[in-house]
Amino acid sequence: MAWLELNQVNVGFGPQDSRTEVLADVNLQVEENEFIAVIGFSGSGKSTLISTLAGLTTPDSGTVSIGGTVVTEPGPDRGIMFQNYSLLPWLSVYSNIELAVRQVFPEMSKADRLEYIQRYIDMVNLTGAEWKKPHELSGGMRQRLSLARTLSMKPEVLLLDEPLSALDALTRAQLQDEIIRIWEDDRRTVVMITNDVDEAVLMADRIVALTPGPEATTGRSFPVTLDRPRDRTTLNFNPEFKRLRNDVTRYMMDINEEAKELRFSESRQLPDCEPIDLSSPTNRMVAS
Amino acid sequence: MDGPMREWRLKQRLYQSEPIEPDTPSIQQRLRRMMYGGALALLSAFPLGCSDGDSEVSLDIPADLGMEAAAATSASSAGGNESTESVTASKKTLLDLEKDELKFGFIKLTDCAPIVIAREKGFFGEEGLQVEVIAQPNWKTLLDNVINGELDGAHMLSGQPIAATIGFGTKAHIITAFTMDLNGNGITVSNSIWEQMQQNDEALKSPTPKHPISAEALKPVVQSKLGAGEKLQMGMVFPVSTHNYELRYWLAASGIHPGFYTKSDIGGRTDAQVELSVTPPPMMPATLEAGNIQGYCVGEPWNQQAVAKGIGVPVTTNYDVWKNNPEKVFGVSKKWADENPNTHLAVVKALIRAGKWLDETDDSGALVNREEAARILSRPDYVGADYDVIKNSMTGFFYFQKTDKRPMPDFNVFFKYHCTYPWYSDGVWFLTQMRRWGQIAEPKPAEWYDEMAKEVYKPAIYLKAARMLVDEGLVDESDIPWETDGYKEATSDFIDGIPYDGRDPIGYLNSHKIGNKDETGSD
Amino acid sequence: MARPHAFQTQSRVTTNGKFMKYKIIKAIDVAGLNFLAPVVRLCYREEPKKQLEEIGRYIVIPVVAFTAFVALWAVIAPRHKTKSGEVPTPFVVWDAADSIWKFHDREGDKEDAYGLSGKTRDEKLLIVEKRLAQLGPLEDLADSQVKEVEKARSKFVDKMVSPLLGEYDKLSTQFSEAKKAREAGLQRDAELLTSGDRDRKNAYLAEVRSHAEQTEEERQTLKEIKAEEDAIRADKYPDLVAALSAQTKIAEERQYLGKLAEHLGKSNRTAKLEGQIAQLRSDQVAFMSAAGEEAFALARRIVKQEERIRKTSESTYAKPWTLPMQIYRSLACVFVGFFIGSAIAIPIGVLCGLSSTFMAAMTPFIALFKPVSPIVWLPIALIIVGGFIPDPDKHWLIDLLANLPLIGWMKINPAFIASAVTVALCSLWATMVNTALGVASIDKDHINVARVLRLGFWDRLVKIVIPSALPLIFAGLRISLGVGWMVLVAAELLSSSEGIGKFVWDQFNNGASDSFAKMMVVVFVVGFVGLLLDRIMIVFQRLVSFDEAPAAM
Repeated sequence: MAWLELNQVNVGFGPQDSRTEVLADVNLQVEENEFIAVIGFSGSGKSTLISTLAGLTTPDSGTVSIGGTVVTEPGPDRGIMFQNYSLLPWLSVYSNIELAVRQVFPEMSKADRLEYIQRYIDMVNLTGAEWKKPHELSGGMRQRLSLARTLSMKPEVLLLDEPLSALDALTRAQLQDEIIRIWEDDRRTVVMITNDVDEAVLMADRIVALTPGPEATTGRSFPVTLDRPRDRTTLNFNPEFKRLRNDVTRYMMDINEEAKELRFSESRQLPDCEPIDLSSPTNRMVAS
Repeated sequence: MDGPMREWRLKQRLYQSEPIEPDTPSIQQRLRRMMYGGALALLSAFPLGCSDGDSEVSLDIPADLGMEAAAATSASSAGGNESTESVTASKKTLLDLEKDELKFGFIKLTDCAPIVIAREKGFFGEEGLQVEVIAQPNWKTLLDNVINGELDGAHMLSGQPIAATIGFGTKAHIITAFTMDLNGNGITVSNSIWEQMQQNDEALKSPTPKHPISAEALKPVVQSKLGAGEKLQMGMVFPVSTHNYELRYWLAASGIHPGFYTKSDIGGRTDAQVELSVTPPPMMPATLEAGNIQGYCVGEPWNQQAVAKGIGVPVTTNYDVWKNNPEKVFGVSKKWADENPNTHLAVVKALIRAGKWLDETDDSGALVNREEAARILSRPDYVGADYDVIKNSMTGFFYFQKTDKRPMPDFNVFFKYHCTYPWYSDGVWFLTQMRRWGQIAEPKPAEWYDEMAKEVYKPAIYLKAARMLVDEGLVDESDIPWETDGYKEATSDFIDGIPYDGRDPIGYLNSHKIGNKDETGSD
Repeated sequence: MARPHAFQTQSRVTTNGKFMKYKIIKAIDVAGLNFLAPVVRLCYREEPKKQLEEIGRYIVIPVVAFTAFVALWAVIAPRHKTKSGEVPTPFVVWDAADSIWKFHDREGDKEDAYGLSGKTRDEKLLIVEKRLAQLGPLEDLADSQVKEVEKARSKFVDKMVSPLLGEYDKLSTQFSEAKKAREAGLQRDAELLTSGDRDRKNAYLAEVRSHAEQTEEERQTLKEIKAEEDAIRADKYPDLVAALSAQTKIAEERQYLGKLAEHLGKSNRTAKLEGQIAQLRSDQVAFMSAAGEEAFALARRIVKQEERIRKTSESTYAKPWTLPMQIYRSLACVFVGFFIGSAIAIPIGVLCGLSSTFMAAMTPFIALFKPVSPIVWLPIALIIVGGFIPDPDKHWLIDLLANLPLIGWMKINPAFIASAVTVALCSLWATMVNTALGVASIDKDHINVARVLRLGFWDRLVKIVIPSALPLIFAGLRISLGVGWMVLVAAELLSSSEGIGKFVWDQFNNGASDSFAKMMVVVFVVGFVGLLLDRIMIVFQRLVSFDEAPAAM
């Protein structure tokens, strides 16, 4: 049995008679310390998936289990990094991390805690900005802070919900490298949601496709066998990289076509709206 | 007159160039004044504030005194209950006060003078009392504050202690040992009513008509109003105020019915030909001008104010309704008086002296202290009206119209005619009026009137205080009615000439045409 | 969003002076005094033309507008006369403010004088007596001047009135004779009438009617003359006004100095103490040589005298309330009420925000009580407070309050508490509604953070919910304080609790010639204090607001 397992997970929203199934029969196995990228189109239920993994959304049927334990509620062992950072705007960089650290390691001494927090601030290159408030930070800095906060909880599983989608290309590349660097220093299981094939190929050990919603489910899985460390400058000329990227892209296009045909073939007109997960932090960003 | 005016202006400028203040307060003083109380305390905690510590007096008391004092206390358990002592240095008897910081309430009327004068002329201080005098918004609040203990005592309408004690309105046992003054009220009607009265009575057309003016000339006005389905509206200050009874008396004496109070009609308008309503004194001129009322009965300075502003004409004073009628009393709650007997005595002593000071005359019989009193009363924290307005009535003059200024030496009486003595007969008169107009719903036996008056009026306290003042040489033996049984001689000094004898309240009730009548011997 | 960041980098590279400028501008911004920013910028010579324009718009124009208002007021006020008094001009209001301050100052002097001792006291007494001696002749002069002017005035009035009076008398006799003649004629005519004869009867009626009209017309004519006469009599005589005011000034100063001399002299605390101590000494001497009954009496006297000395040494001048003191007390009252209100409103608001069930339960109360006027709350508050404090002299709460610093001296009484409660009841709604809104509209992301961290209820409340609702809570508090300040004046007026409201009521009751002007002073004082309170709350609001959104002006 895998370390992290989704077993026949179904998630839907809305009242009984007009229910929208977002996820249908999703199965996913992730090994310990594996870096998985889940790739899918907008509105395919990626965020619902990560929310279910985090325990913020309870599946209608099926189970999510980590290390053999069934997930029933959110907790710091599954560090989730939200798409829109979810920083507390009234707290400084330091205090945002401190809030998490205090809660997860209540018995840590004050001096240790100070050092511990500083380590994470340094790790994400926010040194010098300890006492700034989130609104004084740039988008990239905020995402770094969010990462530092998530990492500082020492989660067993790291859940990244389109962590870089709101950033410009350069900052994005920089942060991708940083996340990989940190992950390589301190390996753990990672599930990353993304809509960027390059990003997935660059970062993940394995790419799992999510079919377009509604009733999204896991599609093919592509193992990435590129050696680490992967250098983004030379990777573009790596045939293996090109092949993978093409395969994934083509597969994604195909299932999208399929889905469209399926949709048009049905007489029923689907509502032109996104499923709204009230408990999910992503509902706003999905629309964008 | 250009010459003297220029000279006067010059002199005025001269005056203004003089320093107004004896010296400018130091910055520190000003700062202290800015910071008030607690802030002041904080400030003085710093060395800066301590520099004026010279205000502290070091009590250089010999060390052995404490021991002696202790010995004396242990011996005092056998002491008698003598509560006073005479100090050899002066003749002044200092009472053993239960409470020395007092708060007295008053309403902004010139007849609060005894309390204000006792404070400003230091009579309270000489008794060892530290008194704060606080203006009250209306008679009801004043009474409530005396009852709830917020105030130690107050300037009250004569009817108030009686009404409170018998339970008409707010029920509480209030007593009085000091009558503050006689007379002092006037009845004012609006200009248009005055004009109509003049048409009804040619004699009133003179710029100085003959007094007393009765309500006879008003009667046709009332009748015509009634014919038009309206009732004349008049204002008075409180349901149990002297003003209410005087206005009713004046109207009824000419056969105008001012209305009965009944159990269901607490506004006192049953059968009324003229409707009376309560308006706070300071609101009277404005209410008259606004046309809500066509006349009112109120104390000074609100009648003179009407003349000064040209909005009404005082037709009569209560001196004409009843010569030397009792007006205000100094009321305290029975509970307070029982708890603070010596303080009460000291207060009455100071008030008697204030009354005497106010009625001080020179050899020619002119009042000598009234201008100073008017000056003091015009201060904003006392009566606060303009000095000119207060001065008129206080110095014994009264403007009936702008052209009609008359001497009224007895308009305000604060000491003459043994007036400060709390007469039972005064209390009984108010009780008869309450019965006459239905505020007392059931007939009462004559004895009841006497008992109630004795519940409220406490001449014993007055006489004790007066005796001390006589011993101290501050009041003459003859100033005080030592031998009285508390009932004044029967008098017929009323506008309608009906005699009043406080010993026969039922007979008095029955001698009036309008009003409730009781059977004699109903006991 | 990124502006402050950019500003940081910029300031690092620019000069220190520029950094200083930004600091000042930032402070101005936090304090809500944005209109000062162009001045600062101008001082640093930054785009002078633009700054001058801004200064023109935000400083010069308001000042000009206010000046125009004052000028207009000065022009219009004297034209608007009522029988109740005149609308005071700005100058009269200024004088009234001065007289309020003078009263305050003089009472302060008396208070100081009472506590003075030693050399300072003697010196001061000397100055006061010297000035008093100066004032004596001045007062006589003023009195005689007033008499003179009065004489001159009455002469003038007589001169003006006498032709009117003559005309009045003439017309009045003429009219009454004419009336008599007419009536006699009518009477004669009446005797000629016979029964029947409709036409003649009608003609006669018309005659009588015209007689009545004539009489009424004549009466009106007389009335007009009378009114003219009254107007002359009522006219202010400027010389007399000046003379009287000078006389009043002198008389008031004399009275004040007399009282001051008294407080420096015989009723000074030290003087009283000296007398009492001397008495004590002589009693002590007598006691040493006394025995038996006499010794007992003397010992008792000594004990009493000691007590008296203790009381005297603690005594202070019973100072009447002056406007500055009343403003201070009103401020204390509004803050006490504001704190009571906030202490009720914030917890309830938080509960409402957290639980929609609780919100549903509270909605009818909020809807029902929110519009109730202070005038209704106050009597209720008075009764309730009075019920808790039956005897204010001996109640623990009053004792406690009397011993507190800063507000202890204010003689806090049930009326004060009732006013504060009224303020609380009227002002708490804004805070409550805003708090509920702030808590209910908390960002779901923040809640998710709390869920992931598994924060307990209290941690969630204290660390996430309340901080996130703070900007809205403070916006509510700001409204509440504004409402409270507005309500307070009415509450004090009704409860006769010392404060600004009581001052207004007293002035209204005084009905003196300057009472109206003094009330106008209060208008400005209340407005200014309200403005100040609002500014303070804006600063707080800005300090707690974590995003860039500026607090509403």
